[in-house]
Amino acid sequence: MKKVIAKENLCLNCRLCEVYCKTAHSKSKDPLRAYLNEPELQSRITVCGDNQKSVAVQCRHCDNPKCVEACITGAMQKDPVTGVVTCDAEKCIGCMTCLAVCPFGCIKIGETAVKCDLCQGEEEPACVKNCPNRALVYLEMGGKADA
Amino acid sequence: MRSYLIIGASAAGLSAAQELRAADPQGKITVLTAEEYLPYSRPSISYYLKSKVSEEDIYLRPAEFYSEKKIDVFTGARVTGLDPAAKTVTTADGRQFSYDKLCLATGSHPFVPPTEGVEGKENVVTFLDFASAKRLKEMASPEKHAVVIGAGLIGMKAAEGLVKLCKSVTVVELAESVLPSILDANSAVMVKEHLEENGISILLGNTVTRADSQGDTITSVELKNGEKLPCDLLVMAVGVRPETALAEKAGLRVERGITVDPETMQTSDPDIYAAGDCVTSVDMLDGSKKIIALWPNAVQQGKIAARQMAGKADRLTENFSVNAIDFFGLRICTCGLIHAAGDPYRELVRREGSVYKRLIVKENKLVGFVLINCIENAGIYTALIRSGTDLSTLQGDLMDMPTMLLYSEAERTSLLLGGEPA
Repeated sequence: MKKVIAKENLCLNCRLCEVYCKTAHSKSKDPLRAYLNEPELQSRITVCGDNQKSVAVQCRHCDNPKCVEACITGAMQKDPVTGVVTCDAEKCIGCMTCLAVCPFGCIKIGETAVKCDLCQGEEEPACVKNCPNRALVYLEMGGKADA
Repeated sequence: MRSYLIIGASAAGLSAAQELRAADPQGKITVLTAEEYLPYSRPSISYYLKSKVSEEDIYLRPAEFYSEKKIDVFTGARVTGLDPAAKTVTTADGRQFSYDKLCLATGSHPFVPPTEGVEGKENVVTFLDFASAKRLKEMASPEKHAVVIGAGLIGMKAAEGLVKLCKSVTVVELAESVLPSILDANSAVMVKEHLEENGISILLGNTVTRADSQGDTITSVELKNGEKLPCDLLVMAVGVRPETALAEKAGLRVERGITVDPETMQTSDPDIYAAGDCVTSVDMLDGSKKIIALWPNAVQQGKIAARQMAGKADRLTENFSVNAIDFFGLRICTCGLIHAAGDPYRELVRREGSVYKRLIVKENKLVGFVLINCIENAGIYTALIRSGTDLSTLQGDLMDMPTMLLYSEAERTSLLLGGEPA
């Protein structure tokens, strides 16, 4: 499956990936309107670090996802065809057991668990499309879709 | 074609069934559950109680899942007999099922200590399955005083669910702290205060000694210290015991839980495996034998049992406690050896207002943590525990919110590219 790869040496710590991630998951799909009207929006990608050293981290869509194994409601699932790991907000109760086992720190806390869905349906995730430094690339990484 | 039989349809049983289908596309897979429901989220019953989860959303898989995967689930099938020589099981209503490989995923049952005046009364419930949650929800009403015996996870979640449904909720606990399975002494005090602020009365070091009734209905309970509480609804949540009766009757080795090879989940009978809350686990962090009655462990154990039943070589490589839970918005995440103290353990503690973090370290490896209201990225700590990472190889302050920057650049890149931690 295709995954987002972060090139640490090219990351500027500009955090535009976070802005565009929120925008892509907003109702308005507009950065300013999303910022003003949807304060609860969370970026599903996080730039860790500072201007000396930074790296963008988001769900690795693991072959054997710990989060799926740990999910107590069946909300967290890995799609057997696409390999994308998503959280069904209808089923999620926000217990955050997924967060407690994600080795990369890729689950955000909200009313429900919030995580990267690779902008399902889009050709390229918003973070990759909008990274000014091409520090994020979308590559075929192999691995099995059906975990 | 191999015939697989699974007894129990919760975390371990469903996980085993699903993994068996992945490992053996042809095999016959049958799941028997004594309950009247298809596999559902047992931990969600408290969310059902407070109407955060509806009946439709409590099921772990859509009903079509089982037909698509050719997994035959029999509900209302209470297994009463197991004959390992004939390789058959029989149900209470006389049905017989045979197997080549069997998995016991029987879970646990509530432990209800004998209490004067309680047995047989109509307003006494346990709180462990969907049926009991439904009963409790029907019985709860705004004029009623509820008493919960036991301040463990089950009792406190029942109390949280009842607080908006009843006039009062009082939790009575014999021990001196709440939630001892997941909290250390300091955090237990913080959590208790938070629960009290949200309307639950908590009486520690106390217990219900007897109940008074009118007819079949309890009206009040008397406590160890002589105090009397009005009681219209009594929830028994003292504890649970592994469900081992079937295994014992069949002559399998049992020591509290069903005895299994900790890496293969095989019982003392080579064709019978066991997984989940009914087995005695070995905690990889200190080698101790214990019942690890937690969802992720049950899922992992069910998976490994299934792989083994299908003739695959996979082994269980990790087994330790990790738990995340919230009470009225207070977020708790704990993992590993939370009660370890003294040599060779050392602890790092930070406490600011309602935020509490305690890390437990042994020989420069992380072996446990307690996080209250600072659970962000907790899984990175869990990964450090799982991998036994030497903490001296990490960068930055371990007490800050953990991020991938704790790792060296080379390690981080490898982890992020590989997609799977070591």
